[in-house]
Amino acid sequence: MYVELHARSAFSFLRGGSSPESLASVAALMGLPALALCDRNGVYGAVRLHTAAKTSGLRALVGCELTLEDETVLPLLVASQAGYRQLCALLTTANLRAPKGEGRVTWRELEEGNEGLLALTGDEEGPLRRAWREQGTGAAGEAGARLLAIFGDRLYAEIQRHRLPDEEHENAFVVDWAQASGVPLLATNGVRYATTNAAHVYDVFTCLRNHVTLDTAGRLLVANREAYLKSAAQMAALFADIPEAIANTAQVADRLDFTLANLGYRFPDFAPPDGQTQDGFLRKVTYFGAHQRYGSATGPVRRQLDRELELIAKLGFAGYFLTVWDLCAFAREQGILVQGRGSAANSAVCYSLGITAVDPIGAKLLFERFLSEGRTDWPDIDLDLPSGDRREQVIQEVYRRYGRQGAAMTANVITYQSRITMREVGKVFGFADDVLDRFSALFHQGDLPETMKLKEQLQAAGVGGDNPRYEKLLQTCLQVRGLPRHLGQHSGGMVISRGNLSHYVPLENAQMPGRSVIQWDKTDCEEMGIVKVDLLGLGMMAVLQDTIEICAQRGQPVDLAGLPKDDPETFKAIQAADTIGMFQVESRAQMATLPRMKPQNFYDLAIEIAIIRPGPIQGEATNPYLNRRQGKEHVTYLDERLRPILERTLGIVLFQEQILRIAMELGSFTAAEADELRRAIGFTRSRERLERMEARLTAGLKKNGVSDVAAESIRKSLGSFALYGFPESHAISFALIAYASAWLRVHRPAEFYAGLLNNQPMGFYSTATLVQDARRHGIRVLPVSVQESDEKCQVLNDTTLRLGFASVKGLPRASVGRLLTVRKQQVFLSVQDLIQRTELAPPERRLLARAGALNGLAEHRRAALWQVETMDAGDELFRMAVADPEEPALSPLERMTHLERLQADYETVGLTVGAHPMALLRPQMPGMRTAEELKRLRNGERVVVAGSVITRQRPGTAKGFCFITLEDETGHINAIVRPQLFEASRLVINLEPAMVITGRLQNEGGVVHVMAEQLEPMPVLGLPEQASHDYH
Amino acid sequence: MNYAVLWVPGFALCSLQRHEPGLQGKPVALVTGEGRRAVVVEATREAQHVRPGLAVPLATSRCPGLLFRGRDLVAEQETMQLLVASAFTLSPRVECTSSGCVTVDLKGADAERTEAAMRLHVLELRMLGLPVQIGAGETPLVARYAAKVTDSIMIVRDRGGFLQPLPLSFAEPSARLAEILEGWGIRTLGALTTLPKAEIGGRLGPEGAALWERANGESPGVLTLTEPAKSFAASWRYEPPVESVEPLVFKLRRYAERIAAELRAVCMVAEELSLTLLLEDETDHLRQFRLPEPGADVDSWLRVLQTHLDSLRLDSRVAGVRLVAKPARPAQAQGGLFETGRTDAASFWENIARLAVLVGDDRVGTPVPLDTYAPDAFRMERPAIVVPAAEARPVHPPRGGLLRRFRPPLRVRVTCQGSSPVMVEGAVRGDIRARVGPIRLQGGWWMVAPWAFDTWLVELVDGGLYQLTHNAAGWAVEGVLD
Repeated sequence: MYVELHARSAFSFLRGGSSPESLASVAALMGLPALALCDRNGVYGAVRLHTAAKTSGLRALVGCELTLEDETVLPLLVASQAGYRQLCALLTTANLRAPKGEGRVTWRELEEGNEGLLALTGDEEGPLRRAWREQGTGAAGEAGARLLAIFGDRLYAEIQRHRLPDEEHENAFVVDWAQASGVPLLATNGVRYATTNAAHVYDVFTCLRNHVTLDTAGRLLVANREAYLKSAAQMAALFADIPEAIANTAQVADRLDFTLANLGYRFPDFAPPDGQTQDGFLRKVTYFGAHQRYGSATGPVRRQLDRELELIAKLGFAGYFLTVWDLCAFAREQGILVQGRGSAANSAVCYSLGITAVDPIGAKLLFERFLSEGRTDWPDIDLDLPSGDRREQVIQEVYRRYGRQGAAMTANVITYQSRITMREVGKVFGFADDVLDRFSALFHQGDLPETMKLKEQLQAAGVGGDNPRYEKLLQTCLQVRGLPRHLGQHSGGMVISRGNLSHYVPLENAQMPGRSVIQWDKTDCEEMGIVKVDLLGLGMMAVLQDTIEICAQRGQPVDLAGLPKDDPETFKAIQAADTIGMFQVESRAQMATLPRMKPQNFYDLAIEIAIIRPGPIQGEATNPYLNRRQGKEHVTYLDERLRPILERTLGIVLFQEQILRIAMELGSFTAAEADELRRAIGFTRSRERLERMEARLTAGLKKNGVSDVAAESIRKSLGSFALYGFPESHAISFALIAYASAWLRVHRPAEFYAGLLNNQPMGFYSTATLVQDARRHGIRVLPVSVQESDEKCQVLNDTTLRLGFASVKGLPRASVGRLLTVRKQQVFLSVQDLIQRTELAPPERRLLARAGALNGLAEHRRAALWQVETMDAGDELFRMAVADPEEPALSPLERMTHLERLQADYETVGLTVGAHPMALLRPQMPGMRTAEELKRLRNGERVVVAGSVITRQRPGTAKGFCFITLEDETGHINAIVRPQLFEASRLVINLEPAMVITGRLQNEGGVVHVMAEQLEPMPVLGLPEQASHDYH
Repeated sequence: MNYAVLWVPGFALCSLQRHEPGLQGKPVALVTGEGRRAVVVEATREAQHVRPGLAVPLATSRCPGLLFRGRDLVAEQETMQLLVASAFTLSPRVECTSSGCVTVDLKGADAERTEAAMRLHVLELRMLGLPVQIGAGETPLVARYAAKVTDSIMIVRDRGGFLQPLPLSFAEPSARLAEILEGWGIRTLGALTTLPKAEIGGRLGPEGAALWERANGESPGVLTLTEPAKSFAASWRYEPPVESVEPLVFKLRRYAERIAAELRAVCMVAEELSLTLLLEDETDHLRQFRLPEPGADVDSWLRVLQTHLDSLRLDSRVAGVRLVAKPARPAQAQGGLFETGRTDAASFWENIARLAVLVGDDRVGTPVPLDTYAPDAFRMERPAIVVPAAEARPVHPPRGGLLRRFRPPLRVRVTCQGSSPVMVEGAVRGDIRARVGPIRLQGGWWMVAPWAFDTWLVELVDGGLYQLTHNAAGWAVEGVLD
């Protein structure tokens, strides 16, 4: 028997060519009983190997290649839980004291903490062989002795055979040394890739790591492709002369008791007051909250709460609920809006605790989607917080409570995507920058390239079929795509533990100061049962918070929880797709659906949010639902037993909860099986897992007499939900925020637009578009003024806003603060007075003058620009002198023209508070239709339109169609571009800031589109470049 | 008419086009910046919709088939020499003002004859592919502005009226001042000079005042006169192209004499000659000759050059020649009594040159192993002038017997059991008693022809220890271990 005990995966970041999943599947195929993953300086890939190994019957052993202070690399294997903790501690200590990727373990630390760890002498980078190579036998003997002193009988002399020149000379030394020192020999293949094919990936990664090309890499590349995962027979043949080296692998594997199955993670206890138990205290605060939420906790409310509390107690989750409750309470005490999202909204306990804002009893939500008896992992509670400083305040509170080693952010594995793959691999292949630039330009900002195969993409980039390296480049790109590139930080996922979190997973410094990050991502944490609390920053939460604060300051307070339900005016705006700035319903796709959907109440809004998602679109649920709603199609049920489950969605499966209920009620799934189904839907890494559940469901449906047609339809829904399904509870949680934003937009527009402008960038549209939208809703937006503006946008009255200094691009916050401070003492009497007292730097003064912010002190912008230029500004004496308010400072300069003012507006604040620039250019573009005119034209008419590009979209569900939104002085024009035309016009579409589109008008049911036939750059110069929301 | 300026619009692009004939009549853009920051600096008339400042991908989208080139400083220098040489025929007082711009002090020159000479220059230079524009005026700056405005020749007599409408960029404001003045709406020289100079100086400082003066056509200081270049290079074209050595050698001698004389004048010698033959098929033949002894002896140079040319066989006629002498200080050292250098360095290098002609440049010299695992990969380098120091003794000296290589390897047939060779047949034959291997080397997988070798050491029953290889071409005995 042979066990491979030294393998690296791509989670060694540029030091391994295969994913842990590939290694697991090949190892299983080879019939290996176990595999030890020893990634460089971490256990980044350990969970993935562990998960993949479970299904293939492989035993996933944990190891690590540890880089020591002298840059030698020591492979360690984890024998016990104590050993694992020791390894995590060594890695954490080294990583937290050094910049990312530069953590090194000292020999002293290794001497002091090696319990439960086995060591191998290592490969050519190991202490033994490296000393032999560089300094000879004597030095190698000393290095070996040092290892022996530390590890004793836990040290193994590693021997590899890769059929390399001079290898046997080195091996002969290792064998001699091992025999002389009484150290057992251990054969490994030093695996760097699963199969020989992946050796190319390893070479490419080597080049990337060393910043060289394949042509110049020389002997940095592998000499051959022998470091692949070999079978027991292959290894036995290789080491036929040293059979004990093979036999010892099984003995070592036997010594390694530890796998990630016995990680031993514990969630921190919550300490209730007065010696109460966690369960008792949870019951108490839940019922207290329920009385506030429901008025009284009787009947169905009591039954549901008791049921949930009993289950929570049984599963031992009370501490978790209390911890989250306490965090929400902290946020509220600090005046920070907080709302739970996701499946937690299915829980009446969460609702009562104030974690979520949705009444699951009233909304008839499925509790099992959140928690069920058979569930072994922790329930998911995600909290939405206002983005920015307020969210950071909550994150730092978590660190304060649990300590820097007790809490950390989860990692986010950034993988090689098509564009970056092509760029980096292309460079390694020696392709010129201009070719790679062209490739990048073709795939602007994450645009999905599914209508163009990689081969065609390369040809379009000038890497044609005649290039001899073309095929190899193509193959390598495909192999590299999807492998991990580097580790980032998850946007809000925090993990906490009882005691040191670093006992369970190594920690590292994050890029952001004051943050640490674990080596696993959120799926890994879920697999390992590590509780993650998502503290997500939501721009709209910040907008809502700012809006209600402004309302309160203006003496017109708004209670978000008490907003009138189903407000007709709010729904009128939503039905008319007048939704710019509103949460979740402002996108082009949503706006194109709203006139068809015509939401009339809150639940309709939740459906609207859920329906424009890849899941329902790919599951072909969107159009049938809309047709049924419009009466174009009859409401039918494939099985009458589906009626109670699908009645609210007109017989169409729209939500994950419905799938789960169908599985339980028609497929005979237990609650535990339903939970497994939920996890399979959410687990995007493995299609196999979902297929197993599909098969189980199909069998259950068949057994219960569900027709084949109905079963197939249900299976299809399941498949599409696996991509981007939306739980009903989540849709309702989002609908709450969407409704609040819509209500505020309609009833408190000034405050709402101010809130939006103060939290940019966020949402779908630029500030320029938001201001134009505000103008269309009767809100006057005044420009920045040094005499009037605050740092942020202010509401002057119900119909007037004043832009804040924050909107001036490049004006430092400190300068604004200084300006506001001196203005508070006395208003500015003149430009000279401003210059003297504020000490603004010349570029800052120019910026303000150019933006028109000094118009209150000067005749016009040019006059202000004239006055701010003074050679005396930097002179201390001049600054101390008393300003002469009567100073004439007459400017000989002419006023700016309208077009010049527009250019200055866009350059300085990115928007104009006046008319849209297209209004000025319109006379030069005869025959071109405006957005407003299109609404009145006949369907099928040929039109030419022009405007600034404000969105470019190419969703994965759109089969290669591209959607472009142009903005003109009257509104927005949506254009649809067919895949073929898109490919032909890629560069124009991706790069031109404004364009002219010729095409046929589609004007049906209030939805207006131009089906593009030709796209050209704007022929008239002068349109300021506007920010565009592209391919997100 | 005190000053004249010879100015070539789009000088960098024009120089490029003169030196790369394939670019004539094509949409060409000169770019600056690397990677994603590359932008167009200049573009030819054929590059429609492409304007300076445009990013490269956007320029591609606007003008399919657009050719991109970076600046060719050598080409610019050559063109500049031509321009300067031409200017010297107008007056001995010439300033190389900037790239593509030469100022000539005409004071005291006959106005009519000078104007006629200027017209002649415009024609001559345009025939050489240099679209020069000449301006003349009261000050060097006015002359320069005039050269930029005209498409042939302009002589400015009304300075005020001429300057008024010119764009502000003519006065070359710094980026900071350009930004400020753009903000002020000042876009012409006249608009700037309308503002009081004192106010401009007060607000924009000395830099602003200097700009105001430039806008007014006032030139600071005097011309920085240049000397005729001491050229150590010569290049020329043949119309029609030549086929025999004689006309080449004839001209080579003439130019070599001139270059040698110029070198001697500045107490220099040549250490290397570089001969470029520009062939009719638009390819080049470049040959560099490191001289056995640095010197300025034309006979020695020509011996080296003629030896090469006599044995040279080209597929195409020679359309042009460029000869460059690399200057060096004459050797000062006295030969040592026990010097072990070459007794006849000149003939050694002459022989090397002859051999290179016979067998090819890449097959003469000292073999140096390449940094690759590919067996026997090497390149040829010219013999070192100085014997390199010995490398440090390796930690582990090579082991085993010495391998005596067969060149070429002996092709054999091998019988295997499993993957192990058991019998050899061919030039070497016999049953194999013992074997070690294989050593496996693979590489070049990204190339057209990847390589892979398995190497075995085998001992034949009848005696003999051989190195056996197997690759795509089959089995071969590479050598015998002594």
